[in-house]
Formats: sequence, C-alpha cells, structure tokens
Amino acid sequence: MNKNKIYTMWFVVPAMLIFSIFFLIPLVTSLFYSLTVWDFKSYTFVGLDNFKMFFSERSLSTSLGHTLIYAFLTCGLKVILAFFIAIFLTSEIKSRNLLRSIVFFPNLVSTIAVGITFAALMHPTKGLLNQVLSVFGIGRIDWLGNSSLALYSVIFTDVWKGVGVATVIYIAGVQSIDRVYYEAASIDGANGWQQLRNITIPLVRPAMNSVIILSLIGGLRCFDLIWAMTGGGPGFATDVLASVVYKQYAAGYYGLSTAGNVIMFLLIAAIAYPLQQFLLRREEA
Amino acid sequence: MKLKRIMAMFLVGAMTVGTLAGCSSGSSTTGSQTAAAGNSETTGTSGEAKEFEGVTITFFKDTDFADEGINAVIALAEEKYGMNVEIEQRVGGADGDNIVKTRLASGDMADIMLYNSGSLLNALNPAEYFYGLNNEDFIQTYDETYQETVTVDGVTYGIPAASTQAGAFLYYKPDYEALGLEVPKTWAEFLSNCEQLKAAGRTAVIGTFGDSWTSQVIFLGDHYNILAAEPDFAREFEAGTTKYANTDAGVKSFQKLLDVRPYYNEDYLAATYDDGCDMIANGEGTHWAILTQALSNIYALYPEAMENIGVFGVPGEDADDAGLTVWMPSSYYINKNSENLDAVLAFMKLYISEEGLDAYAQVLKPDGPYCIQGYNLPADAYPAVKDDMQRFFDDEKTSVAIEFQTSVKGSNCPAICQEAGSGQTTAGQAASAYDEDCKKQAVQLGLDW
Repeated sequence: MNKNKIYTMWFVVPAMLIFSIFFLIPLVTSLFYSLTVWDFKSYTFVGLDNFKMFFSERSLSTSLGHTLIYAFLTCGLKVILAFFIAIFLTSEIKSRNLLRSIVFFPNLVSTIAVGITFAALMHPTKGLLNQVLSVFGIGRIDWLGNSSLALYSVIFTDVWKGVGVATVIYIAGVQSIDRVYYEAASIDGANGWQQLRNITIPLVRPAMNSVIILSLIGGLRCFDLIWAMTGGGPGFATDVLASVVYKQYAAGYYGLSTAGNVIMFLLIAAIAYPLQQFLLRREEA
Repeated sequence: MKLKRIMAMFLVGAMTVGTLAGCSSGSSTTGSQTAAAGNSETTGTSGEAKEFEGVTITFFKDTDFADEGINAVIALAEEKYGMNVEIEQRVGGADGDNIVKTRLASGDMADIMLYNSGSLLNALNPAEYFYGLNNEDFIQTYDETYQETVTVDGVTYGIPAASTQAGAFLYYKPDYEALGLEVPKTWAEFLSNCEQLKAAGRTAVIGTFGDSWTSQVIFLGDHYNILAAEPDFAREFEAGTTKYANTDAGVKSFQKLLDVRPYYNEDYLAATYDDGCDMIANGEGTHWAILTQALSNIYALYPEAMENIGVFGVPGEDADDAGLTVWMPSSYYINKNSENLDAVLAFMKLYISEEGLDAYAQVLKPDGPYCIQGYNLPADAYPAVKDDMQRFFDDEKTSVAIEFQTSVKGSNCPAICQEAGSGQTTAGQAASAYDEDCKKQAVQLGLDW
C-alpha cells in the first residue's frame, strides 16, 4: 500500500511546480501589489485605495455593469440558440455533417480577425450591413457608434462566434440520450414538441450545465473581441473589466490594474462557484 | 519492454527541449535587437572606408509620423557614414504607448526610439532607459522652450524629430471663398461659419473618432484660451488646487467639444486619421481639428492640395487675443544600452545639423517653426505654415499645450473627449470625469491631491 502512495505523489510534483510558479505565486503577489501604488521598481503601500477608486470612479465602475450584462446575455443567447440548432442538427437531414462544420467554423477563426471583420462590416457608411439595410429601405444604423447599441453589437458578434462550441456540446448531449425514451413516448402518443419538453430538455441538462458555466466564465473574462471591435469606445460604452484593466496597465498604473484583476478574480469566483454547485445539485436530482 | 522505454525517454527529451525552446526570448520582430557591428553590407561603396561602415542602427517609430523625411536623412547618413539604418514601425495611440513601456521595461528597445516630449516622457522614467545628452554640443542649439520639455531632473534626453506643430483647425480655403466666410476670431464666429456651411450642404467639421486620440484636439488646442483666462492654471492644476470642473474656461473647453457635434460628418465615430487627411485634401469637409503634423501626411499624398489648406487656432472669447496652442515635436531618445552609441550619436548630430534639416525639408516641409535656433522656415514651406502659423509666432500669440507644462495628463482623455463629442455627457460631467482621471495619474506620480 505505502509503495503505491509514494509512486503517485512524485508524478504530481512537476505539474504542481509549474502550477505554483505560474499561478499560485503570482496570485498571492498580485493580492499584495493590488494594495500598493507600483511602478515596477518601487511600491508605496496605500491599502484599499485602489479598490475604492475602482468603485467610485465612473469610468471604472460602469465597466462592472457592462461585464455582467455582457456575460449573462452572451451566456443566455448561446444556451438557447445552440440548443435549437443542436436539435435541428441531430434530426434526420441530408446535409447534417456539412451543416455541423459550417456552424462550428466561426469558432476556428481568430477572435481578433472576427472583431476586425465585423467592425468593418458595421462601419456606418462603408459597412456591408448598412448597405444591405439601405437596399431594403431601412435607414442606417450606427452599430458601433451609438453608445446604447454598441455593447449589443459586440454581444451579437460574440454569440455568432461562440454558438458553434455550444452547439457541439449540445449535440454530444442529445446524442447520448437513449432512444428507448423516445420510442416509449411515441407509443404513448406524445408529439414532437412534448417529447422535446419532457425528454430532451431534462436529459440534456449535463451538457447545458457545461455550456452555461463555460460561456458565463468566458463572457466575464472577454477582452479580445471587445478590444478589436471598439477599444472600449465610444467613450466608455463598451468597456468591460478586462479592457479597463488593460487600459490601466497601458497607462502605467500597475497597482490599480492589479487591483482590477483581483476584483475580476473575486467576481468570477463569486458567480461561478455557487452557480456550479447549484447546477450540479439539479443535475443529480 | 526495452523499445517502449527508449521511446518514452526520447519523447520526454523532445518535450523538454520543446518547452525550453518555447520559453526563450519571444520577441520575433525583425530588427528589434541591437545588431552587433559589422554584420550588414552597405550600399554604394566608394574606395575609402567610411566612418561607420557596416554598422546597423535600429529605429523604433509610430506609423502616424511621416516616413519620407526620416528616409531622406537616412540616405544622407548612408552616403556620408556608410551606416545602415533599419526602421521598425509600431502603432500609435494607447496601444503604441503600451508597446513602448513594455519593451523598455523588458530591456528590448531599439537604438533610437521616437516618442512624445513633455509629460509623456516623464511617465517613461527616462533616467533608467535613455542616454543623457548633457555633454553633447548640439544641445546648445536647442530652443529653450523645447529643451525644457525633454529635460527631466536636469538631464536632457531628447532630439527634436521635426518642427513644432500646433493643435488647431485646418480649413479648406475654397469653401470659405465660395461662401465669403472669414477666418473666425471668436468661438461664436466659428460656430456661425459652421452654420452657414451646413446650410450650404457642406460637412462643416470633420470628425475622426475612429482614431480616438484625435478627439482631444479641440479640448487640448483650447489651452491657449484657458491660459488667457487663468495664467497659472497649469501650475495650480498640478498642485491640485484648481480643477477643470470648477474653472469657467475649463468647462468651456469641454463645451466646445459638444458645440461642434451637429456639424460632424455622418461617420465621425468610425472615420480614421487617414480618412480625415483624405477628406480635407479633397474638400469633402471644411474644418478639421488636428495636429498640424497632418499637413505632412497630406503633402505626402496630395502635394497639390497644400495651397487649399489653411490653419487657425481654436478660437476663444476675445477677438483680439486669438492664439495658437503649440506642441513641441516628438523627440528621439537614445537607448542607454545601445551597442552602437557612437554611430547613433553621429546620426543624430547629422539629423539636426543644417545638412540634415535641409535634406528633411526637401522632402517634407515643416509643420511649424523649428526648435533649432538659427534655422528658419524654407521659402517653399506649406502656405498654411508660412502664412497662417508663422503669424501667431511673430505676434507671440502662442502657448505650449498643457502636456508640456505639467506631467499630470489623464490617460482616459481621448475616451472622455469621445464621450463628450458623441453627446453622452455634458461639459460639466466631462470636466469632472477628466479631473478624476488626472487624479489617478497624480497618485501614480506621488502628488498629493
């Protein structure tokens, strides 16, 4: 017995070493530096001032709201849209494999490339979207310039890109449901919609939980798409936590941006951990 | 079995080597490391050896700064000294700042880098990274005001990259002639000009918020008028005793951003700096608030358009005190740890010598008067500079921009100006937002606000 235990411990050591050097130690030191004003050479201890500034200054605190809107909207849209696309793609249609590849394709492209492309498509005068709309007689929409619309345009692009992964996870979930249930239900006279509601949705719950957790955490951390499309603009309308942290870092306020990172870490932990507990409990039941 | 063991060992070895290779220095852009002397060929060999034959020096600049002038001086240096100069480009704006700071901090900077003077230089901690020029003779030729902006704690670091420039309104002269308008001396006159232009179906003001730094120019260019009302504003602002939000002239500066909103082009939030150059050169818009370095960019693309473009400073309240807010040029800073210091110094000396300035001016005319004493505007300078801007300098109606008077400049200024310019905030809100933003910079600098 003892021999086995020593054997397994040694295998963990290399991984633990890399993990602690690149994750644990920086985590602890960033908790420390977030309490300072820092310029890489020296630091001045200021306590919770950085955090206070984060919550009181308008440009920084609005980003918290935007982050939550972004995360929950993208998560919700992906969960719902991907589910219906997955149902469609697991039914008996001829071009099933081709359609699956097409749906998954946006996920393979670099996020920055997607961002730049969509920013060009959404250009108010030269962009393709507005040109198509004007053919139909609808007036020009300022997708990324209208401050109330800009965040939703970026959310739309994020959903376009991310729905592929969610669909694939759902497809796996739907395919794992035993055919027996459907046969029994159709013998009992249930129609398609009733089968969907009473068999598919409850049994695809593990896949749905994965999609929810992954897209929520991804949405809370999203940076590259927003930066490529609007740079946080116009003004501060599409700033999220990650882009604000990046801006503070670029400006040289290293202590403040570390504080932002700590807030992001705490926010994600506070949302994701209880959510996961909740979803897992429902799954078991 | 033995084969499996050998395979396993081999794979472990390959994995380790692969990881180590991935961990090595990551910068892969060309010409970014200071090259060892003697590893490149020079062109145009003559019989005798030139002083710096075979030396390559590296140059790091942003894409908003026109290349043609630098290339002319490089050609001169290659001919005279036999050295090879490699230019590496970076983006401008906030992303560019980030790249510069990161590369300096990681010790990965080129021999010479181009960067702003003034407060932005302070933020880079120049004593740590740049070669001090106090012992060089050529700094004696510097204009005093310029020298102050590249001196930190008594040590001068910078070499002027170009002439001075102004943050002002470029205007398309044919439109003014067509409608019989006069160059405005007050802000109210300016707005009424815009109104008439709009009524005639023209785009009165060009907005290029796609490049967010351009949205600040009206606000920053108004600094002359703030100083006219409050001469000690910069010093008091740095000390924290006055703010934009509780100074009339300060709030008015932000108000100007809102006043021009009805006159912008339709795609002002997405149009870029390059679009703006195109528009003003082709007369698709009448006014453009921009730094006059744009004149060089326009000249490089549309040389025949230069006689149609004029310049006036951001108008204030007083018709008799219409002034110009001047920017000191960006400067070159020499990497302290450069391996080719002698070659670099020779190149820089050539750059600001009369020979070098002549070579530069042949290709790109100045965007304002020079910072080198004794070197005057050439006879074929842009009409905008020679006729319009020189007048302000002669009448002494100029002041430097605030970033050259104090190192407290908020990093979110472009975004705040964008917000005001797109109508999301009022002038008062924008002013207080900017004050709060500057507080972060003050805290970082250790000032007590």
